[in-house]
Amino acid sequence: MKTYSKKAWTFVCSLMLVSTLFAGCSGSKGETTQTADTGAKPQAEAQVENAYKDKYDPPVTITTVWGVDPELKFKNGETIENNVATKWAKDTLGIDIQSLWSVTDTNNAFATKLRLAMSSGQQMPDVVTIGDAQLAQDLIDSGMFQDAGELFDKYASDTWKQAMEQDPNVWNPYIRDGKRMGIPVLDYAYNHDYLLWIRQDWLDKLGLSAPTTIDELEKVMDAFKNNNPDGLKPDEVIPLSIGFKTTMNTWMGDPSWVFGAYGTIPQQWNKGADGKLEYGSINPAMKQGLQKLSEWFSKGYIPKEAALWDENKTAEPAVAGKAGILPGPYWMSGWPLADTVKNVKSAVWKPIALPAGPDGKAGRHGTLFTNGVTLINKNMKHPEAVFTYQNYMFENLANSQPGGVFDNGLFKGYDYDMDASGKALRYEDIPGGYVNSLRYLLVRDGARIPDAQMKALLNLADGKEATTRLEKEVKLNYGLETPEAAKVLMGQEGIAYPNMYTGPTTSTMKTKMDYLNKIENQTFNEIIYGKQGLDSFDKFVETWKGSGGEQITNEVNDWYSKLSK
Amino acid sequence: MNIKKTWPLHVMVLPSLLLLILFSYVPMAGIVMAFQNFKPWLGFTHSEWVGLDNFHTLFARQDSMEVIWNTLIISALKIVLNLAAPFTFALLLNEVRKAFFKRFVQTLVYLPHFLSWVILGGILLDVLSTDGGFVNRILSSWFGISPIFFLGDNDWFRFTVILSDVWKDFGFGTIVFLAALSNVNPSLYEAAEVDGASRWKQTLHITIPSMLPIAVVVGTLALGNILNAGFDQIFNLYNPLVYQKGDIIDTFVYRTAILNGEMGLGTAIGLFKSVISMILIFISYRMAYKLANYRIF
Repeated sequence: MKTYSKKAWTFVCSLMLVSTLFAGCSGSKGETTQTADTGAKPQAEAQVENAYKDKYDPPVTITTVWGVDPELKFKNGETIENNVATKWAKDTLGIDIQSLWSVTDTNNAFATKLRLAMSSGQQMPDVVTIGDAQLAQDLIDSGMFQDAGELFDKYASDTWKQAMEQDPNVWNPYIRDGKRMGIPVLDYAYNHDYLLWIRQDWLDKLGLSAPTTIDELEKVMDAFKNNNPDGLKPDEVIPLSIGFKTTMNTWMGDPSWVFGAYGTIPQQWNKGADGKLEYGSINPAMKQGLQKLSEWFSKGYIPKEAALWDENKTAEPAVAGKAGILPGPYWMSGWPLADTVKNVKSAVWKPIALPAGPDGKAGRHGTLFTNGVTLINKNMKHPEAVFTYQNYMFENLANSQPGGVFDNGLFKGYDYDMDASGKALRYEDIPGGYVNSLRYLLVRDGARIPDAQMKALLNLADGKEATTRLEKEVKLNYGLETPEAAKVLMGQEGIAYPNMYTGPTTSTMKTKMDYLNKIENQTFNEIIYGKQGLDSFDKFVETWKGSGGEQITNEVNDWYSKLSK
Repeated sequence: MNIKKTWPLHVMVLPSLLLLILFSYVPMAGIVMAFQNFKPWLGFTHSEWVGLDNFHTLFARQDSMEVIWNTLIISALKIVLNLAAPFTFALLLNEVRKAFFKRFVQTLVYLPHFLSWVILGGILLDVLSTDGGFVNRILSSWFGISPIFFLGDNDWFRFTVILSDVWKDFGFGTIVFLAALSNVNPSLYEAAEVDGASRWKQTLHITIPSMLPIAVVVGTLALGNILNAGFDQIFNLYNPLVYQKGDIIDTFVYRTAILNGEMGLGTAIGLFKSVISMILIFISYRMAYKLANYRIF
């Protein structure tokens, strides 16, 4: 009995120790949030004049918060709070980037932490860049951030303004009562616009040319399946690898171009003939697209389990050498398609244009030119410093010219490096490893001009030497077919349907949209699988309108009409 | 027991009691959100009070009864089978004489418990595929059955979900029952043998009755989860073809409350679930007391 109780004591004691350890950990995390306040204030008050400067002396402080991409690497003992980029900003621009807190952004940790910080009344950062659309809307509605559009007009450089003008719609999601409450983070355009990747070696062996219409596509798919050049049995081949587990409007293995050929793109808001916005899934043209897909399903052109497949699954048969066609973005020749040759030596993937429907129409969903938004705190002492930083980035990074500051990349030894003879190294050859130091910058990815990457790719496709930073970068590190794919993509520039509704979730959407999506997915999948007749589409449209769809359409058009004023 | 002797024990309980209050009872104040149009930046105090609107939204959906029904059927069958399967298996395993074989089997059936549904979802997708999946190939070559679309057919989906869940977790339950078996007083068996009872009679009159109390405990505890049909599993396996039979409350909450940031609605549904579960726990607890004379308090 005595030894037993002794053991029990040690056990309980060690348990207690462990629990205090845990408590200790969580406590110290909370404390780091406090440290940033100190030091910021005296400097801010010393600077009475509120004028834009190219370099601040004494330095000014910008506070921010970080959601650190788990893939982001650090070297030389640096952290997101203190690294080559923060040092650079202080030395070159006199801007001291202070971090209130940072969190590794897995499972939406950043959005969650920011939401909590917001609701518990913690200090909000001067500047924050947000990718999560709903969170951005919530933060804007919280009233803690200021009219960034006004500041933008006043302080932004011409390069930045011109970049922003490439698509004036980028401001739309952030407009409140005519005020632009956030600065959209520009991204390279067409990143998610897609085309078809096809097994050129199969086409060559069959003596076929690339299909340009839906009818020709059917012939090609039939030949791939029933007369396979690699000798695969018909039920081993997936002529067209697509999937629609969650949506019919996605990025890889996307089926929405089938509907595009008949004049609509599902699950987004398109501009109708009358100038009003219309939900693509209820357009009568959907019926023809569904009929085609159903036909292809019964003939075995598309995967039998397409309803169970998400995007990454559609790439599996393609990489395994069992699929003939895979819809997807222009950059796919690098990932995932580059791996195909490991499985099938003779495989050659080539990009081709989307085939047209019976009326000569073709369509795909467009991509917005933005990737999040930058918000500026109402109480920020030196909002113009943000523009000092970003103007520099747009001038020197986004628009880098041969001989410029960021001619070869951002920071030597991080995102680029040279060998002894001054030749740029591939990412994997950089000593100590490649680090995407662009992610250390105040605004994610520094600065991007939407059409810059496409222009660089087109120049390469035309056989020009790589001279600018972007041209060198894409040439060095992207898949071989990428310039060619960019050319194909831009050959069909006009066919993209951008999603015209980029506003906040409307009140009816909040309560009804999930149900509407559910019956839509259910009906469309069952039509394709032949479990329901084509007529059920009409019934679906009626239910959709009656169960809140009509009201949502009105709300969306309300928002849209206010914009165009 | 006097307090002078036992005070160290009370002190030792204190930290966990504090943690329990801090993390389990204090957050209950958040139930308020169920009656609010909750906006994170306004907090509990300033968010608009909407009364029962969130509950109204939940039941106004055309498919809400379907979803609740799916949840009940799937989880009820899971509870019954997750009790029956390990119970039977433990009985069978107990009859095995070779200790090594017994341990080996025990470990083997326990292993799937440690796999997450994200991984199993991918595995099941391949194994159950109609397109050369392992299960369908066996069915067609051995029994001549044409391929069954386990994950995409409304008639099969629930079956697949329940069976895969039982397969994953019955090893864990088996361990609990085996522990109960090792506690049976050996003198009972000796006495039975003297009286000339066969193995079967011994099982029937000694083993099963002595396992019943623990079975009742496991069953009672499981009933509290009657409205949890298993989010991770369904979320990784379901698809538009089986919404009709496979959509459950949790996946529905995920889509409306989490994806849309509708905290009020999410809390309302959570509260609804908790109230139903609590009623069921009360009932099962009373029943456990009446039928098996078992009580926790």
